[in-house]
Amino acid sequence: MALNPWLAIIIWAIIIIVLTGPMLTLPMFWSRMKPDPFRDMPFESGQVPQGEARHRLVMQYYPYLLMFVVFDVVGMFLFAWGISFTRLPLNASAFVILFIVLLGAPLGYALKLALNKENW
Amino acid sequence: MVSLVIPSDISFVVLTAVTIIGAIIALQAKELIYGAIALAISFIGIAGFFALLDAPYLAMLQIAIYVGAVVVLILFTIMLVRRERGEEMDKRTDAAEGSMGLWLAGLLALAISGVVALAGTSLPTQAPAASLPVSDLGPALTLQYPVPLIILALLLSAALLGALVLAKVER
Amino acid sequence: MVVFPPTTPAELIALILRVITSHTFITIIIFPGFIHLTLVVIFLTWYERKLLARIQLRIGPLYAGGPGGILQPLADGVKLIFKEVMIPYKASKPLFLGIPLMMVFLSALPFAVIPFGQHWVIANIDVGLVFVFAMTSLFPSMILIFAWASNSKYPFLGGLRSLFQQVAYEIPMWISTLSVVLLAGSLNLVDIVKAQEKMWFIVPAFLSFIVFFIAIMAELERLPFDLPEAEPELVAGWYTEASGAIFMLIFMGLYMKLYLMSSLVTVLFLGGWWGPAFLPQPVWFIIKTLIVATFIIIPRGVYPRIRVDMLIKTGWTRLLIIALANIFLTILLINSGLLAAWGI
Repeated sequence: MALNPWLAIIIWAIIIIVLTGPMLTLPMFWSRMKPDPFRDMPFESGQVPQGEARHRLVMQYYPYLLMFVVFDVVGMFLFAWGISFTRLPLNASAFVILFIVLLGAPLGYALKLALNKENW
Repeated sequence: MVSLVIPSDISFVVLTAVTIIGAIIALQAKELIYGAIALAISFIGIAGFFALLDAPYLAMLQIAIYVGAVVVLILFTIMLVRRERGEEMDKRTDAAEGSMGLWLAGLLALAISGVVALAGTSLPTQAPAASLPVSDLGPALTLQYPVPLIILALLLSAALLGALVLAKVER
Repeated sequence: MVVFPPTTPAELIALILRVITSHTFITIIIFPGFIHLTLVVIFLTWYERKLLARIQLRIGPLYAGGPGGILQPLADGVKLIFKEVMIPYKASKPLFLGIPLMMVFLSALPFAVIPFGQHWVIANIDVGLVFVFAMTSLFPSMILIFAWASNSKYPFLGGLRSLFQQVAYEIPMWISTLSVVLLAGSLNLVDIVKAQEKMWFIVPAFLSFIVFFIAIMAELERLPFDLPEAEPELVAGWYTEASGAIFMLIFMGLYMKLYLMSSLVTVLFLGGWWGPAFLPQPVWFIIKTLIVATFIIIPRGVYPRIRVDMLIKTGWTRLLIIALANIFLTILLINSGLLAAWGI
């Protein structure tokens, strides 16, 4: 029975949800889930939580998130090329090598900007 | 080469519903985080469309880039602007203004489908989209379109550096 | 023989038997499908505890059912299912309950494309590798959403750290597998394994193997990349507020991801199901995957933790440069014809 593989993936997805769903829904029936204002306070090793945490301290990794978006796209294009690399003449692959090399200098400058903590 | 012909009517309807409802929720949600999640679901719907059109690589590309990177960026930005979940940044109290957009979109959809239905049989029928195997992308990129590839490299570099330079703090 | 729709009970039984013994049903439900996945994940939790215990000169689970506490994960599961699920004050209830289920879903979904044997794969699609990477790239966003939905400071900080760590190591992970794609010439995981019949890809792509191994240890948040769950600092990181069934779902999702990444290493670098013929192919696959999982678990008992900013910097600078350099090395290697004896 040769099944369309995408259909097999969909069936697999449905089976996962159907068979692991009860792990989430059954506890709602048999375990206690009453809200209690003192017990449900966010855990902070015993003290009452108050105030807001500083958010400046994680802004220093923000440039990496921007770099991630760009290199995600780059990676996908490289995968598309990588499949047919052995079947292409070398001068065609030279363009993709040029593609990678052309991204090298901006990568370096981006890293230099990102590593400098004063900038963020 | 396996083609992706699943019973396309029901999957098309489901994907359309998911995409459009996700987009509407993304616009109308009071909590921005729910809106971002609805946007992610809408993007997954679009990826499903790509898969239905026999372009599985593009579907995976869409999920990995849009849902995997762009939505993360949006979420991060939302979360850093407002920290506690109790506060609301932007109350949509004007319901009329919000639903006007929905009404306009609905009218437009009705108008277009009406025109298409009336034109009916006189529209030229197209052959179904040719199946493009993934292994054709490599030769196309390098042999047929090498110059756009290099321009793409420059464009990505410009986007990267531009984003970083704009986002950094000048001291 | 088989009539659909069945009209008599005998025909119904014949239809059921036909479905149950069909290859698709066996692959989806039994192997490498749901039953095998659940059993291996349960085994891995026990295995990790025993292994770490031996490294740390302890004994580990001992009493739960039989020698060596083999039923300990079952006892843990039963305990967690009956515990109360505490939803933090003003946390987002649908997100808090729904995201762990999505995590398990996303960890289990890529198993559809991983080949355990030449015909033991649920779905043999042409873009298998990119499918796995697309699914794993959804993890950071889910961790971020769950951490935010917990409405508490420790999880939120842990979630942000986890997000940056996983995002930092995704790109070296992808670029290092590019070497494998160059050598194999296909994104189809079955084809990649078939191309390793004569020589496993760990030999020509050794540097890629190292980069990939380090990257997946960071993706799995295992020591020495343990910062999102640094116990002395952040309690338990992004899943601090998870309790009971929610914690069990997250825990299962993490161990499924461990198994997924180990099997990905086996498929990409260790020759998948190839091995001498005295054992069937899936057995070789599972043996190799367990060996990889052992090497992922062992550093947890050995190494100290790496500081988060050093971690993220290393991912973006050193690993990325090594991965990119390795692409050029692989291109040189393929073009020099040294690998022609093994059919590349």
